[in-house]
Amino acid sequence: MNYNWDWNIFFKSTGIGSEIYLDWFVSGLGWTIAVALMAWIIALLLGSVLGVMRTLPGKVLPAIATAYVELFRNVPLLVQLFMWYFVVPDYLPEPLQIWFKQDLNPATSAYISVVVCLALFTAARVCEQVRTGIQALPRGQSAAALAVGFSIGQTYRHVLLPQAFRIIIPPLTSEFLNIFKNSSVASLIGLMELLAQTKQTAEFSANIFEAFTLATVIYFVLNMSLMTLMSLVEKKVRIPGMMGGAK
Amino acid sequence: MIRFNNVHKWFKDLHVLNGIDLQVAQGEVVVVCGPSGSGKSTMIRTVNQLESINEGEIWVDGKNVADPKTDLNALRAEVGFVFQHFNLYPHLSVVDNITLSPIKVKGMDKAAADKQAVALLERVGLAHKKDAFPAQLSGGQQQRVAIARGLAMEPRVMLFDEPTSALDPEMIGEVLKVMKDLAESGMTMMVVTHEMGFAREVADRVVFIDHGKIVEQAPPEEFFKNPQHERAQQFLRQLLTPMS
Repeated sequence: MNYNWDWNIFFKSTGIGSEIYLDWFVSGLGWTIAVALMAWIIALLLGSVLGVMRTLPGKVLPAIATAYVELFRNVPLLVQLFMWYFVVPDYLPEPLQIWFKQDLNPATSAYISVVVCLALFTAARVCEQVRTGIQALPRGQSAAALAVGFSIGQTYRHVLLPQAFRIIIPPLTSEFLNIFKNSSVASLIGLMELLAQTKQTAEFSANIFEAFTLATVIYFVLNMSLMTLMSLVEKKVRIPGMMGGAK
Repeated sequence: MIRFNNVHKWFKDLHVLNGIDLQVAQGEVVVVCGPSGSGKSTMIRTVNQLESINEGEIWVDGKNVADPKTDLNALRAEVGFVFQHFNLYPHLSVVDNITLSPIKVKGMDKAAADKQAVALLERVGLAHKKDAFPAQLSGGQQQRVAIARGLAMEPRVMLFDEPTSALDPEMIGEVLKVMKDLAESGMTMMVVTHEMGFAREVADRVVFIDHGKIVEQAPPEEFFKNPQHERAQQFLRQLLTPMS
């Protein structure tokens, strides 16, 4: 194959203002992180609430949470994104619609759509993990908490959830990484995150291999660092005497 | 202190509690025994409504526990419960296991709760383990911590659901000793157990239950020397000479 690799391309001018190509990647990475972190915070909160709901006694609350999970887990992420970006805004009340479509700058409205999409999609998955974490605990734990006079809320807050979250740190970590990888769908609605900037670099410079190689390296390093961070967290909260914790 | 009035409970078709009538007076120690599946664990769990009942009434300290208007959380705070499998909170240290409910349910301040916890740990002989975690303790030690955790709420009654059944034989004594001290301090206690030595020495009354019914109740001397009901006779024979 005859290809002239040119790694200096990232330091060359893009021809737009004084920007070099590397600037595009830095800005793309910034958007990727902004999308993923915001969506993750919402997903973690909403998913935890839903996960708890699925384990509550009674019928209504568990049924609502189950319906949520089935809906958001069984529709492809891209379809959901297009719904949030192209369809849902048309059904908003008029003032909100005008605000979303005309007043907001296009990057912001794309950002809102993709954050909502990723957050709700990932919340369904977090829900299932929180639920299994709670259900993995011995039944005696909630009995013990109720027996000393805790309300249901206190039982979850002080006894069940602290244990459940420790158990599910590994699958939550992989969900946390997924949200960074899934954030690349934002490129399809014009948000200039990492993948969109990579494609743009490839088109502008014709150095397609370098561009995608750099994107690969950035995603990889980003996710490896997150994984390392999470395993530090896991070690930090390990219970002494259990599951390989300090003796 | 505790009064069962014609209490019935069904698990689907199974009639687990079939008309229980029982009274436990203040300061009394009542041992409940019976063959497995007789309903004794279910019965003790109905006292603080870890199990609901279908019919009848249970009065604890003047409150009807089956009444939907009764504040169950407040009631449970006054009734200590010790489980067969200890059920300590594994993510908390020994002292935090004991102080959690006084702080969160009664609103006690942390310093006072810690002080009380250390005093209770001294009482059960485990003051040196206050910073350990449950998984670092033996079964007998865990159960003693669980008793201290129950006492931290200053309950008016303590319930024990087979507290020594999950223990290695050499650890049973240390737990029974703590329970005996507690009985001698005047605590009202209801104990489901197969430890007949404990029943003989500590109980004021032994209640024998079979197929969800109380078939015999008597002071321990009488119950062991001269059991009236055939099922109780057979049960005692088997406890004393299990191979025959």
